Amino acid sequence: MKIIKSLVVLMVVSSFFLLTQAYGEEKRILFHAGLGQRSALNEIKGIFEKRNPDIKVNFSYKGSGYFIADITRSKQGDLFMPGEEFYLMQAVERGFLTDYDPKTDIPAYFVTVIITPKGNPKNIKKIEDFARPGVRVGLGNPRSCAIGIWHQKTFKKAGIWDKVKENATMSAKCIPELGNATQHRAIDATIVWATTAVLYLRDVEIIPIEHKYRGIIRLPVGVLKFARYREEAQKLMDFILSEEGRAIFHKHAYAVNSVIPVDKQGFCLDGITDQDMGYLVNAAKAVKDASYPVTEKTVGDLAGEVLRQKKSTRAGD
Amino acid sequence: MALRSRGGWWPALCIGTASIILAVYLLLVTSNWIYLGWHDTLYFFSKSRMWERFWLTVWTATVSTSLSLLIGIPAGYALSRFRFPCCYLVASIIDLPIVVSPAVVGAFLFGITTRFPFDWISEYYGIYIGRNVYGVLLVQFTVTAAFCARLMKASFDMIPTRFEAVSHSLGASPLRTFFKVLLPMAKNGIIASMIVVWARAAAEWEGLMLFVGATEGKTDIMPFAIYLDWNGGMMGWVTSMSIVCILMAVSAISAVKIIGGRSNVW
Repeated sequence: MKIIKSLVVLMVVSSFFLLTQAYGEEKRILFHAGLGQRSALNEIKGIFEKRNPDIKVNFSYKGSGYFIADITRSKQGDLFMPGEEFYLMQAVERGFLTDYDPKTDIPAYFVTVIITPKGNPKNIKKIEDFARPGVRVGLGNPRSCAIGIWHQKTFKKAGIWDKVKENATMSAKCIPELGNATQHRAIDATIVWATTAVLYLRDVEIIPIEHKYRGIIRLPVGVLKFARYREEAQKLMDFILSEEGRAIFHKHAYAVNSVIPVDKQGFCLDGITDQDMGYLVNAAKAVKDASYPVTEKTVGDLAGEVLRQKKSTRAGD
Repeated sequence: MALRSRGGWWPALCIGTASIILAVYLLLVTSNWIYLGWHDTLYFFSKSRMWERFWLTVWTATVSTSLSLLIGIPAGYALSRFRFPCCYLVASIIDLPIVVSPAVVGAFLFGITTRFPFDWISEYYGIYIGRNVYGVLLVQFTVTAAFCARLMKASFDMIPTRFEAVSHSLGASPLRTFFKVLLPMAKNGIIASMIVVWARAAAEWEGLMLFVGATEGKTDIMPFAIYLDWNGGMMGWVTSMSIVCILMAVSAISAVKIIGGRSNVW
């Protein structure tokens, strides 16, 4: 019986932890955000909470495709930042977001890049190489993640969609799956956002895409109609849209140029993102090669990310 | 020893099979550990985030196991000893969460809490049901409560009714009999099943993904954190946390053996 008694004591003690978790009067913003934005948004959360000690930010990270079901059913949440404007527009159509302004509410952009396993075994250099027989291509499922839509768009524009579909060996539910598959050499090539590619600097090769196939994806943010803390949510949104907020996004390989000329489909028209792409390629070199200099000149704002990944062999933070 | 017994090839085959299984599992652990490397092992194990998550897992699993036991012991006793109307129906409903995927539990909880009267409560008092640590506990409890009752029934089933009959004939009340005779006899079974229930609660994540969602530092118990970091490309965290999970499981099982808990599960 002694053991049972000590177990009872253990239970009582851990129940106390339940009480310590009880919420006080502080305001908790519920932020629906795409999983891909996690590293940048966590950093923003840290700064924002320090400046506004009475406001706390709770994230509900998911693949972008899962949000509409959640929001429709629960009618909860203050801020919404999915990985593509398309998903935000779904919310606008359903009336969950009333004051979305596509001109001003874009803090950052995703840029598409090609990634291949370390050493680029199939020698992928451009979009057309994806159609070569024997290349194992990873595609995203357009129903559950934004990258899937862009795979389709890009390869259709290049006129090789049917061949690429035959080469496809995986249909990912979210973009990190593509990164992990490349890291573990399960696929030979795929297209991901630069922000995803930057997480795998040690284990992948990054190949910038030529302008006409380089997708620029608008990353919108909006306050939901049923926000409980509208004012506070607006405050956080303003911070995200501020110069300072954008600078944090830039540190995680988002493009933050205020204007990026694109065609109707969202493909790049000029070389305004070329410099960021160059930094990204250099960053991959810097993590793999210890002697490569990590300076403002070589890797730009990505220095923090490079140093984080240099700290351990298997990326962590 | 066993190999030297009569008809040597059959025991040898069985033992060989057992060692192959063991080798496969050892290979899984060691290859992952080699992948992580010694330097990174030290690096990640010394991070406070790791131990915050570990502790969160431990205490949520302990609280939900305690709640499950409060329900599970009387329920298991009732199912084992009494015949009441629809007791077979009750027994099969209780089996449901074991058979059905925890994802279903999560989706159902999500569905229920967004309907009357819960939506009204959450609006009126301004609290979110789910999306915080209470949501974690609710999912863990829902998944394990039935499981716990099932194991308790099995523990009580193993005790012959004769002891209770003797106790009753000597004039003890049913309550006294339960606490003084039945419970001490079922002790080992209870401890063993408790650790199984605890491990089940600590490993829960499908339901959490649907019902709670991830808030770092608040609801990311170990298995959920592994999924989160997997999505962030942080293979180091994934591997090191998996290793901690395995160590946790091994110590839970060893604890059962050392305490001497025995029941039909082991």
